[in-house]
Amino acid sequence: MLINKPFFQFGLVVLTVLALPFFLRSGIMASEILIYGMVVAASNLLLGYTGLLSFGQGIFFGTGSYLAGIVLTRTGVPVGLMLPMAAVLGTVIATLVGGLSIRRQGVYFVMLTLAFSQLFYFLAYTFSDLTGGDNGLLDVPRPMLNGEQLVDPWSYYAYVGVCFVLVFAAMLLVTQSTFGRTLIAVRENEERAAAIGFPVRVFKIAAFAISGAVTAFAGALHAMLIGVAPLSSIEYHTSEIILVMTIIGGSSSLYASVLGASFYLLMADTLSSIWPRWLLLLGLVLVVVALFLQKGLWGLVEKIYALLTHNRIPPEVEPSDLGTDTTAKGE
Amino acid sequence: MIYLFQVLNGIGLGMLYFLLAVGLSIIFGLLQFVNFAHGAFYLLGAYLTYDLVERDISFWVAMPAAAVIVALVAGLTEASLLRRIYKLPHTFHILVTVGLALVIQEFVIVVWGPLGGSVATPKSLAGVLIIGDFIYPYYRIFAICFTAVLAFVLYWALERTRLGAIVRAGSESTETMALLGYDTLRINTAVFAFGAGLAGLAGALAAPIRGVEPFMGVEALSVAFVVVVIGGMGSYVGALAAGLLVGVIQSLMATIWPEGARLMIYVAMAFVIVTMPRGLFGRV
Repeated sequence: MLINKPFFQFGLVVLTVLALPFFLRSGIMASEILIYGMVVAASNLLLGYTGLLSFGQGIFFGTGSYLAGIVLTRTGVPVGLMLPMAAVLGTVIATLVGGLSIRRQGVYFVMLTLAFSQLFYFLAYTFSDLTGGDNGLLDVPRPMLNGEQLVDPWSYYAYVGVCFVLVFAAMLLVTQSTFGRTLIAVRENEERAAAIGFPVRVFKIAAFAISGAVTAFAGALHAMLIGVAPLSSIEYHTSEIILVMTIIGGSSSLYASVLGASFYLLMADTLSSIWPRWLLLLGLVLVVVALFLQKGLWGLVEKIYALLTHNRIPPEVEPSDLGTDTTAKGE
Repeated sequence: MIYLFQVLNGIGLGMLYFLLAVGLSIIFGLLQFVNFAHGAFYLLGAYLTYDLVERDISFWVAMPAAAVIVALVAGLTEASLLRRIYKLPHTFHILVTVGLALVIQEFVIVVWGPLGGSVATPKSLAGVLIIGDFIYPYYRIFAICFTAVLAFVLYWALERTRLGAIVRAGSESTETMALLGYDTLRINTAVFAFGAGLAGLAGALAAPIRGVEPFMGVEALSVAFVVVVIGGMGSYVGALAAGLLVGVIQSLMATIWPEGARLMIYVAMAFVIVTMPRGLFGRV
């Protein structure tokens, strides 16, 4: 389908960056959408492309956020160097967490990722000298450009926008590469992929590493956006909303993730101003998505596109089925 | 002496963790369904007990009532919603139960407020036991004995009764059970309600010890996962051993390194995963 082709997806990404300022009044909100767009796409790389449902993406997000906080407030390292550092640290931690979690499969894997997210939360909580504990790290500065700090939200938005486009291009390349194709093979039939001779575990860990790098990178951008590296960015709830955005968006293309992130953030913004207990409504939305919108919002877009062009959607193998494997009965 | 005290505390805590994990494990065994709302049922059980005790209803009525109400809520949810999604991939099981957990958690905040509270120990168990230097609250002794008896009854019911046989047979093959003429839909509902009721009971028992607050469900869910990962899902003995292990680790660490007590639970889990990927009692 045309709308899932990489060049089309890249076009959508560029268009999104250019169009958001016309639709949103708040530059903070717009930047947040782009940042979470990256985070969710990274989660989608695991769920949609590799078939790994990770409940621990908040670990990497929080890692990046703390790294930005520590490096920018306590050392003289410039932002241009800090961001790659965040990506590297994210890679290292994701390799560790991913490597341990994939020792178990199916639902055990999901439970492990969730338990690891708690582990890192308590690490951050316990070592408060480094992380500021409950308060987090305050006064994280925005980056400098031409000797001027990007205090205005929209000028920081431009900075984030450039990062967003670059990161997304890189991720599209990854999914188009032989590596990305192999990930799909792992998702579709892990045993067969292993039988052909692919080192399945190495591929899964590599997917984790990339996902961790992107998520930590985005976490660092987020800390600079809000000026704080809070404890909440490594909490269970962060992992939860990343996963929720991923599934709401859908997993048949990377841009689906941007859609999922935008939908969630805009819904959160609108509903939370009406009713502080809006998460109750979110819970109901999740049920509705599971019952009626299993391919997510992007699935809806695909359907509309097919109707408009009178194409039939080719019958696909169920994507992101984390349980097609042998773990169904008593792994 | 302090260590003995903490080991006892750990056993009490561990038995609660065992109740949580065994409910999760029974549901997973029969329905192949990971219930991410399990912690929310624990939360609901604790709050119902809190509410009933606040209304001057005896704890001895409140505790079983809370467990039964939670079981009813869970049974209704299963019959009206969850049975529609069993055939979907795991992703949607997780999405729906995460949604359900959010609904319950926010419902609790709407009804009882965001601050939480404490539950008085029942009057008949208010004192402490003193033997020489050794001082220990009666309620905690009761909690340990009660859960121990319950664990034994559960084991007997699952392994030695016809009802238990039906549940175990169902987790081997639901299709065969249906062919044999059993109403598997009703069995599913009953088992889900029962597993959730155990979580509610754990919450009710925990309420006088640790009080109630709206986010205790998340913590309970992840601890239950740790217990199941360490002990092996579907293993009764594993859940018991792992529950006790986790409880004792947490309590001992509370003396040695208070800030890191809960951290150590997860470190222990990581250690088990590295050394024994299948868990302590994992079969396959």
